Amino acid sequence: MSTDTRLAKTEAQPLARRDEQRRLTPPCDVYENDAEVLVVADLPGATRENLLISFERGELSLSARRELPPEQGSVVRAEFRDATFERRFAVPNGIDAAKISAELKDGVLRLHLPKSDAVKPRQIPVLAG
Amino acid sequence: MLTRWNTGWTEFDDMFGMLNDFRRRMDRAFDDAFGADLDVPRAAGVRATWPLANLVDTGPQLVLTAELPGLSERDVRLSLNQEVLTIAGERKNDAPEGYSVHRRERADVNFTRSFTLPCRVNAERTSASVKNGILTVTLEKSADAMPRQIAVSSAS
Repeated sequence: MSTDTRLAKTEAQPLARRDEQRRLTPPCDVYENDAEVLVVADLPGATRENLLISFERGELSLSARRELPPEQGSVVRAEFRDATFERRFAVPNGIDAAKISAELKDGVLRLHLPKSDAVKPRQIPVLAG
Repeated sequence: MLTRWNTGWTEFDDMFGMLNDFRRRMDRAFDDAFGADLDVPRAAGVRATWPLANLVDTGPQLVLTAELPGLSERDVRLSLNQEVLTIAGERKNDAPEGYSVHRRERADVNFTRSFTLPCRVNAERTSASVKNGILTVTLEKSADAMPRQIAVSSAS
């Protein structure tokens, strides 16, 4: 029976390993104005050292590891733990990859993706005849 | 809405309480087992429990930690009433001005959450800090709740 094999398969996967690779999808806001695209992500417990942001072929990926100090004592309640926050975005053309900047404060990441000059809207002066 | 119309129905109420409790346990179990997978749809909505918290008993102290991204020390209020610790606070809308919104998943939060501590604590010797979006509250146990060594004397 097919169901039997599927059951056996899930059992074979060690639980501890799944725990190690715990991945979370952080909630993100995306804003845009004439000058840039701004991505804001909640990454509670992540530090600058464990934050990896890359931009490649129009895809922005961010990965942040949270390492909580090991608890000393008995755990009464556990609702969150070490994890890796991961998120990927498709970014439209016209982002100046060299000028991407990021700041991390109070567990919130703000990622600035400046638009390249070519796509920025510009005023065209009209000359009087 | 269910109302208790007769004292004989208390068991009926209890049953609903039990079902609620069961549902909460199942939610928790699902979170633990499939947290990574289920997090995707939840990230866009309102979390049932906010903020998530851990509580550790270190012996002389209780340490409570909670996820509070975007909040600093001044945004959090703590109060202690007997064995009940309450954390409350607000994260204001931090949307930048003059930007159009493409995606909005980080909700404005106005939260209150209470925890029944496993023992009495000394309110005067409680400290709290927020670092990298994680709140840490250290509560000193009151003297009568401290673990103590009991000497075993031989009968001879």
